[in-house]
Amino acid sequence: MADADEDAVRGTTVEATQIEVDLSDETQDFRLLNHLNFLTDTSSSSLPRRGEKDFEPNPTEFQADVLSASRQAMHNALAHPRLHNPKTQVIAIYAPEGPPPAPAVTPGQPSRGASVSPDACVYVPSPKGQYFKSMGQADRKGVIWLLPEEALYLLERGSLDIRWPTSITGGTTVGEGSEEEELSIPMSLQAAYTCLIGRGGLTLERFTVFSSLKRIGYAISRAPGWDDSTEVDDSVDEHSRDSYTQPLKRGAGLAGILGSIFNWINDPKSTSSMAAGPVIGYGIHRNYADIYKKLALIPWYDPTLAPTRNTLNTSAPFRVIFYVYKPSTPIKKSALPPPDFRIAVINTREQTTAPTLPELSALLESTPLDPPRGEKMERQMYMRLRHGYRNVILAVVDQGVTSFLRVADVAFGKERLFEGSSAPTGPKKGGNFRKKKR
Amino acid sequence: MAEVISVSKADLTAVPVPVTAPVPVPAPEKSETAEKPRPVRTARPPRPNYRHIHRFPLPVNVYHVPSVIPHNPLSIISVALSYLTFLIYPPRQEIYTAYFDSATSSVHVTDEKTIRALWEMGFFGKGSLSRSEPNWLEQEKKRKGLMGGNTVEEATRKRRAERRQLKLERARHEKLAVEERLKAEAAARESGSVDGLSIDGAAEAAAVPVERFSVKRAMEARYLERRQQAIQNKNHSESTGSLQTANGSGPVSPIVKKKETVSNSTATLQGIEDDLDLDALENEEHLQLSTEEAFFLVYGLGALRVVDHNNNATIPTSSLFSLLRHHSYYPPRSDSSQLDADDPFMISYSVYHHFRSLGWVVRSGVKFGTDYLLYNRGPVFSHAEFAVIIIPSYSDPYWSETEERREYAASKQARSWWWLHCVNRVQAQVKKSLVICYVEVPPPVDCSEDIAAEFGRYRVREFMLRRWVPNRTRD
Repeated sequence: MADADEDAVRGTTVEATQIEVDLSDETQDFRLLNHLNFLTDTSSSSLPRRGEKDFEPNPTEFQADVLSASRQAMHNALAHPRLHNPKTQVIAIYAPEGPPPAPAVTPGQPSRGASVSPDACVYVPSPKGQYFKSMGQADRKGVIWLLPEEALYLLERGSLDIRWPTSITGGTTVGEGSEEEELSIPMSLQAAYTCLIGRGGLTLERFTVFSSLKRIGYAISRAPGWDDSTEVDDSVDEHSRDSYTQPLKRGAGLAGILGSIFNWINDPKSTSSMAAGPVIGYGIHRNYADIYKKLALIPWYDPTLAPTRNTLNTSAPFRVIFYVYKPSTPIKKSALPPPDFRIAVINTREQTTAPTLPELSALLESTPLDPPRGEKMERQMYMRLRHGYRNVILAVVDQGVTSFLRVADVAFGKERLFEGSSAPTGPKKGGNFRKKKR
Repeated sequence: MAEVISVSKADLTAVPVPVTAPVPVPAPEKSETAEKPRPVRTARPPRPNYRHIHRFPLPVNVYHVPSVIPHNPLSIISVALSYLTFLIYPPRQEIYTAYFDSATSSVHVTDEKTIRALWEMGFFGKGSLSRSEPNWLEQEKKRKGLMGGNTVEEATRKRRAERRQLKLERARHEKLAVEERLKAEAAARESGSVDGLSIDGAAEAAAVPVERFSVKRAMEARYLERRQQAIQNKNHSESTGSLQTANGSGPVSPIVKKKETVSNSTATLQGIEDDLDLDALENEEHLQLSTEEAFFLVYGLGALRVVDHNNNATIPTSSLFSLLRHHSYYPPRSDSSQLDADDPFMISYSVYHHFRSLGWVVRSGVKFGTDYLLYNRGPVFSHAEFAVIIIPSYSDPYWSETEERREYAASKQARSWWWLHCVNRVQAQVKKSLVICYVEVPPPVDCSEDIAAEFGRYRVREFMLRRWVPNRTRD
């Protein structure tokens, strides 16, 4: 029951044909809520079709009725009683001091508590339910410790009940164990926001990104770059200079020895001048590919030559702070697989400008090389170019509105178009409404 | 179909040989195979053979020389012979002429032949009175009814008019619907019953989407209708047999058809007067080259010489270089002023040259709010897939040495997020991939005469930017 809405979202793949059509961009017609039957029936999970909307007000009563019906539907949905089954209730306790320091690890003995992050501040004495598959860290006693964003997310969706610790409320300890939980005071949502946001580097922007991705089914873990202050300087700056290609050196022609004998006749090289042009020279040119090769003059960046830098050798906010896993990726908390996406969160009110080259370059170099692979990529040049060699996702949060941008390192210089057979051969299929082939 | 592809490949790779005849006009049997899969579109006049017109990617002549095969002595002889021919009769590379117009900071070409050459070989420049290809004269003639067919501009205009018409129609439909609704409501109020218009009714209305007037659907319907008509016409002409085809509605060579339409129209439009008109119609259009295009043609290819508008003297490349750099500001800087390392021309030309040298056809992207558009082979063959925006980067230590320089660099490379989002969304809307091209500005050096060394210090790095929609990448 509690996660029915999640299932509803999961069950229906939104068949948006266009990336431009983003339902979250629009103001919803809340009459849809009347047709959402998850409120009463959990078995069915289909979203109703959206109707067409009016663009301007008109004096008809019909429109006014539609509007008020929409409002009413919203109120109905909000007024729907949300019940928490006491059987599935999970109780957690806020621990402002964080987890107890892990005991000195004796070598040879596996220590389970060592993996608890010092930022964790909410613990769940008796964990149950599916949420702890991808969230929380267990200490030696089997108590699950939650990071502030995880606790807040669970509290917000009504799956967790956070209690104030007795050390703060000063409640009398009547008994041990379960008795204590019964008597402690539940934490309000407001109090939870106050206590948890700002704790251990959790900003509201980071929480917005975390919860929005979590809500649609992604699994998320903190990346090493979470803490802004940790920095490692492994000075790769000198090396990165070398990842630019140098213009082609004019070597001996490949025409062979015999060819070079003839080369003095009408050789375009003799009249070519890099200093004053023309670069390709006058005279006889053998083919266009050679001309293009001679024109290579501007050094370009080759991402495959760039060294991968330490993820901590980047400066906030352009550093990866979240590892994101698709819902389909099987994950194990103790041994996380390589993430599907790496996300950097940027607050536009603090970082008012788009990244400069050094910032973006450092960010991308901190991600592993991910060259275009696969049969499809090999066939399609456009796809290869769009995929790039390294990629990262910027979550740009502007006062609560998040836009995700995927940035990839490309190298047009690695695709020699002038040699390629990928060029279009016929006239283009223009058109007004016929869809362009991509 | 396979045949068509193989031919195109040969076109691409084959070096145009002066000895062999230029690529022939499609042979009859080939054009037939090309016709077959798309008989429904015969309503539109046949397109020009772009593959032939634009077979040279650059305005530079290329001559094939047989390669030397060491174990084949005959090949040596053939190579020697071809070299001998070139020695005795060296082929001349055409150098076109253009003049620099300081008022608009652009380079103009007025010679008809040069205009065609620069457009056809590499898609350089823009017609000053046309959207892109310099075809104003043709447009004018067609407008006056002297030639058959449509230009792209006309097609666009027609489409826009049609769309506006449909939008008006939609507005009318909507107005009618509102009026009807009002009338019904008034009637209901009089009769005292409000059952039909209760909130419940309104709530249910969403579930049953009302069939409304959609411009897109109407356009599609119109298109289908036209296609249907074309099929019918085709069937009709086929059924009536060869008699009809001889009369011009069947597949006839484009030349014959054009002649016919010309003669028809002139005949109907009181021929003599219009013929006089046709002679009097002068081409008032010129080709306008951007500074980057002009400099690429001069410095990169040596296919162009730029003359001074006033005294008709050729501007040497080095002077042209500094002239264009001075003119990359508005208002242009005086000739005596210093050249800066971050002259806009240096940055934009680096990017232009970079993509040109990789074989892309680079054209201005101003209509999509970007700096450049990259076409594969050319705009007549495919839509541009990539749109490029250029951001200078002042990452060299020189630019952060003093406070003043740091501030200057920061002001030059700052771009707001809102601007970036705007550009990105526009590109998504027009189905292009956005490429952010950073150009690293080197520290200034004393003016060197070596242009290649100058440009060798500007380094280019591309990033692909696109929106990530989490809902669409869940699996």
